[in-house]
Amino acid sequence: MATFELYRRSTIGMCLTETLDQMVSSGVLSPELAIQVLIQFDKSMTEALESEVKSKVSIKGHLHTYRFCDNVWTFILQNAQLKSEEGQETVDSVKIVACDSKLLTQ
Amino acid sequence: MASSTTSNVYIHVIEDVINKVRDEFINNGGPGEGVLNELQGLWELKMMQAGAILGPIDRSATQKSGAGGPITPNPVHDLNVPYEGTEEYEPPTADLLVPPTPLQTPMQTPLPGTAQTPLPGMAQTPLPGTAPTPLPGSDSSSLYNIPTGGTPITPNEYTSTNENGVPEVKAGPGRPSPYMQPPSAWINQRPPLDVNVAYVEGREESERGAPHQPTTQDFFISSGKRKRDDLPPQYRAGGYIPQQDGAGDNISDEDNRSQNLKVVQGGNQQMFFQVGTMSSRIPQLDGPIPDPYDDVLSTPNIYNYQGVVNEDYNIVNTPMPNEMHAATPAPVQNDTGDDDDDEPLNEDDDDDLDDVDQGEDLNTTHLVLAQFDKVTRTKSRWKCTLKDGIMHINNKDILFNKATGEFDF
Repeated sequence: MATFELYRRSTIGMCLTETLDQMVSSGVLSPELAIQVLIQFDKSMTEALESEVKSKVSIKGHLHTYRFCDNVWTFILQNAQLKSEEGQETVDSVKIVACDSKLLTQ
Repeated sequence: MASSTTSNVYIHVIEDVINKVRDEFINNGGPGEGVLNELQGLWELKMMQAGAILGPIDRSATQKSGAGGPITPNPVHDLNVPYEGTEEYEPPTADLLVPPTPLQTPMQTPLPGTAQTPLPGMAQTPLPGTAPTPLPGSDSSSLYNIPTGGTPITPNEYTSTNENGVPEVKAGPGRPSPYMQPPSAWINQRPPLDVNVAYVEGREESERGAPHQPTTQDFFISSGKRKRDDLPPQYRAGGYIPQQDGAGDNISDEDNRSQNLKVVQGGNQQMFFQVGTMSSRIPQLDGPIPDPYDDVLSTPNIYNYQGVVNEDYNIVNTPMPNEMHAATPAPVQNDTGDDDDDEPLNEDDDDDLDDVDQGEDLNTTHLVLAQFDKVTRTKSRWKCTLKDGIMHINNKDILFNKATGEFDF
């Protein structure tokens, strides 16, 4: 199963990465095993988003920068409004990084 | 901060990961379940510290919000910086104002001295013919002719000033002052007086000019840049020679260096004048009005046509092109002004990039990670559909199964 490493940049992914770095540097964990944990995280996170999350979000804003490279879209929005079921958030700028969903199904 | 649903999903993911890697930890000489539990404990602790998981420790994450705050103001400052740069240009203008006055004085004094030698030759044939012709010539002539016409026009004007005497000259100095203020930016950049002189000339042209003249100036500007870049030093010498009627005077006053050159040039000029007379006669036979005009102004062209005379004058000719350049310098100044405008724009661009970079640095504060199903654009309207995303906005983690984006570029 193909996975994206995309979600490693999320809060939960960064926390896991920091934990693994800490444990590998202390010699408790082998780097190979740490990588396996990360790969498992990629899978589990993707599955959880597909199965555990049902919410919808709408995003509006001024598109400051757009970029499509290596099948990854990157948008930098300014004065963006993000509406979710939990409320609305407004930010001066937000970066959106999106991988091609079709790559996972192949 | 994280909503309960987000927290639950995170807990679910942690448990799922830990359960699925357990075999790897226990079997095959793995570090054992104790290490796995340590991993889970550290991970969950960090998540709680980050506020991503609701737990006893909710907010160590305030740091992130704090970091986010200062970052946004920084880009604003950057934007201000380029503007300040433009402001900086303004003060020099005042400095520039000073130099123009000295220019005026040199104009007056040199005219009698320099004008004497060249004028007799130049004035006789070219002036009468050129003065009336230049305007029509520029109008009717092709673009090429126009630039040449432009250069000649200035000398003609000077000559006319000589003929007419004081009144026009007075007008010249008087004019530059009002004009000086707008161009001041370029002047500041270029200390050399020569440029200012050329600039003044251009102004005079514009003032006198029929509606067509401004267009000619524009051409000069465009052509002027290139020429100027090519021959800065020559430019001075050239400027002296052709502009003897008007500019030459300025030069004599201005440059001590060029005096020697001037003498030589003066000789050359005499040659030119003779040739010019010759050429003027010939071209008149040719008939085309622009030709006589060209002769006076762009004498080099004529020389080129006249192959025989050229050898002697080739030496002279080299300065002549300089003259051409000399005429152009006025536009060059304008160009410099344009360049100035461009530079701040470039700076702004850089600033924008800087802002973007800063934004990227801030990514941790506002970031959306997702998969895209479709991205479409209609003109500046972007629409995209995302799925399975994690948003970290205002220090909150929000998960979504679907998202629609509408952006204006």
